[in-house]
Amino acid sequence: MPPEDTRRAVRTENLSKIYRQEAEEVQAVRDVSLTIQPGEFAALAGPSGSGKTTLLNLIGGLTRPTHGQVWVGDQELSELPNRALARLRLDQVGFVFQAYNLLPVLTARENAEFPMLLQGVSAPERTRRVDELFARTGMEGLEDRRPGKLSGGQQQRVAVVRAVASRPALVLADEPTANLDSASSDALLDLMDDLNRELGVTFVFATHDARVMDRCRRLVRMMDGGVDSEETPA
Amino acid sequence: MSQSPWARIGMRNLGRHPKRTLLTAMGLAVGFFASVVLVGWSQGLVNQMVENSTSLLGGQLEIHDAEFLPERGLYDTIGGRDGVDLDQLLTRATSDVRVVAAAPRVYAGGLVSSGNSTVAGMLMGVDPEGEVALSRFLDVLTAGRLPRPGQNELVVGTEMARQLETEIGGELVVVAPAADGSMGNDLFTLVGTYRTGLGEIDSAFAVLPVEDLQALVVLSAGRVHEIAVSTQDPWVAEEVAVAVTTAVDGDVLEAEVVPWTELNPALVEYARLASSMYGVILVIVFGLAMFGVANTMLMATYERRREFAVMLAVGTTPWGVVLSVLYEALALGLFALVLGVVMTAPVMIWWHNAPPDLTGLVGEIEMMGSVVSLTMQVEYDVNFAVMTAAALLATAVVAAFYPAVRASRVPPADILSGL
Repeated sequence: MPPEDTRRAVRTENLSKIYRQEAEEVQAVRDVSLTIQPGEFAALAGPSGSGKTTLLNLIGGLTRPTHGQVWVGDQELSELPNRALARLRLDQVGFVFQAYNLLPVLTARENAEFPMLLQGVSAPERTRRVDELFARTGMEGLEDRRPGKLSGGQQQRVAVVRAVASRPALVLADEPTANLDSASSDALLDLMDDLNRELGVTFVFATHDARVMDRCRRLVRMMDGGVDSEETPA
Repeated sequence: MSQSPWARIGMRNLGRHPKRTLLTAMGLAVGFFASVVLVGWSQGLVNQMVENSTSLLGGQLEIHDAEFLPERGLYDTIGGRDGVDLDQLLTRATSDVRVVAAAPRVYAGGLVSSGNSTVAGMLMGVDPEGEVALSRFLDVLTAGRLPRPGQNELVVGTEMARQLETEIGGELVVVAPAADGSMGNDLFTLVGTYRTGLGEIDSAFAVLPVEDLQALVVLSAGRVHEIAVSTQDPWVAEEVAVAVTTAVDGDVLEAEVVPWTELNPALVEYARLASSMYGVILVIVFGLAMFGVANTMLMATYERRREFAVMLAVGTTPWGVVLSVLYEALALGLFALVLGVVMTAPVMIWWHNAPPDLTGLVGEIEMMGSVVSLTMQVEYDVNFAVMTAAALLATAVVAAFYPAVRASRVPPADILSGL
């Protein structure tokens, strides 16, 4: 049964994920119940191994829970077939990864347009959205470069453009600043903060970077796979 | 970027490891080269055998009395005892545009003697000029010249001349049972020798003008055993036989027009067997190439598991991942096809127009009533080339299917987490 509160971006109930490594079971996420409201700028914070990336992957439908349920918008994910999960990720979720993860054979523009192509967005509309976002991110003039010819900061900005250009309601960012210097990190966080405020896109980070945590308006601290505490910084 | 990104991604991925792409494509291209050239060569050999078999002596069609074959009786002349109007029959036999030439022949079994040597053989009466236009065995004599009518001249094969221990200018006594029951015999002069390379012909056929043989065996001028007919293309002989039958029907009742395919069914079966092997060649060649492509595509997709994980994470369906790999394989196949055509076309053109002659290495080969000079003569076969191209592309795509499915099943979360 979906929860009664339909104003939510994400909700999990008793969510658990157990990995089997040879004979040993590792509980990466332990009985997490969590609600993220639309428009939140939230972080799952915690040390390595605390389960924040796994929780992010469960929310994004990249892996299936061992127990419990997860909703993105009104859609419960645990029973969705792979094709429907792919469609949900395409239309409702944007991903930003620690290692940028752009497709190396595509140019910056083509990478940014990739999800929109899958959505069937028209070429003029794709161009308009990417031009606008590249202008905002200072990527003008670099549209035709392939990832190998871009700095780490530039690649991550392309990844953010790719994540938001398809107009998802939710962006999941896994350690997006981990490979960036301070200036690049600040610029990237400024960008995501602006997109959150202006477009209302919900951002959920998995991070242990204090700079990210300082920017977030909600901190969910995780420990040993479970939620340890929650903070709402002023 | 075009509406479907898969083709572009596939094409560009090929450029990431140019040497590996080139080597894999070369495997397919060499397969294309080997298949097309091997089959072209096989067809060249078959055509050479058919050409030699039909144009050396026999002709592509033969018009006989219905009773003539297989005994080749002396009395079984076209038109029976009355014979035929030979000029009219030849005119009708050559009325089809696909017919190149037609000439009469008379046959009789007999003995040819020189001094103390005697050889039993087949006496063959021909129109020397018409025979040169029709067949090849008298085109280039090893010695001497063609016999002239009314001069009691003949030519024999080199082997018969050797057995008779005679040479040009030598006198030969020819004895043959005649149609009137008598024993015809006369003295002839050897004016030439021929060589076909087929021992059964070179040792057994004595050739003389048709009029001289008719006189020897007491057949009237209109009585011949055979009208040999040559066509532009041996493979249309059956169709031409039908046309010639219609053309001569009414003039010579009881006559039959027999194409070489009926006279030499073993050769037809050989050609059919060779054709049936072409598909086997494709399966073997591209079956082997398939493993190479599959190995390469497995390596390529394994190296790019992270990219497939990203594609899946941002909303690509598993089928989309499959498509991207299959497009890559198709692009590889197209590249290999271009390479294959570039490799194959010059060799085919060269070997078709000026085939290297291997007879110096292995000599001439006698096979199914035909002499085959071993050359690298190849025949063009556009249909087979198109079939080979399709097989090449299918090989590339089919070989990539398993790697593509594997790529579509990468667990994105695990891969992106570095597990």
